Amino acid sequence: MKESWVMIPCRTAHRLISEGMDRPLGLGERARLRLHLAMCAMCSRVEHQMDFLRRAMRHIDEG
Amino acid sequence: MNDVAQLDSTLAELQPLLMKLARLQLRNDAWAEDVVSETMVAAIEKRPSFEGRSKYRTWVVGILKHKITDQLRRRMREVSTETQMESVETETFDELYDEDGRRLSPPLDWGDPEDVLSTQQFMAMLQACVDELPGSLGRVFLLREWLEYETTEICKELSITATNCHVMLFRARMRLRECVETNWFAKRAAA
Ligand SMILES: [Zn+2]
Repeated sequence: MKESWVMIPCRTAHRLISEGMDRPLGLGERARLRLHLAMCAMCSRVEHQMDFLRRAMRHIDEG
Repeated sequence: MNDVAQLDSTLAELQPLLMKLARLQLRNDAWAEDVVSETMVAAIEKRPSFEGRSKYRTWVVGILKHKITDQLRRRMREVSTETQMESVETETFDELYDEDGRRLSPPLDWGDPEDVLSTQQFMAMLQACVDELPGSLGRVFLLREWLEYETTEICKELSITATNCHVMLFRARMRLRECVETNWFAKRAAA
């Protein structure tokens, strides 16, 4: 994917996935991230993995 | 064994776990030892208020979390100074991406890993990966993901900017992702 104001690179997508776990993303950020995730299976994977890791961390005191 | 003796022996068995958790969050052995001692004393003193509705272990870990928070508050100046110093170092993960910002090695498919959350081996590996996070990064990450503080609270208490806070959490998550993938999912895929 060529980078442009609407096409963000995977690197930016990863950052936005993480920031979205800490603060509400702006409308523009959310739209660009959604668009990227709709077209990029690799980043969708990362999004699921981040979500899984958050759930796993909630159990860290059980091991 | 009566109930009280049973609880005391369970408490003694929990000590290594309490120590592990306290060290992960505090990143300071002396502070962790203090916190675990305080927790065990409190667990014994407050025993009459344990109603058996939650698991005893969950109840004790709850006390530990409070004691850790108290300890961090007392040590806030030191913690905040360390965090500010360490958060200056930049880490961009450039080595993970090509010049178009694409991952050089695509992330693996982890499948549907929900069931591993109840296995000891997975949790031990996860704890080891969290332990590998550098001090301040690990503290901030656990404040967010274990003690479940809001990011704004963390930045405020540690006197770091919101941007810095987000960058630290991003770095911690990326490192943890790489570590868990390497030490768990890549091995499962190869096996
Ligand atoms: Zn992508």
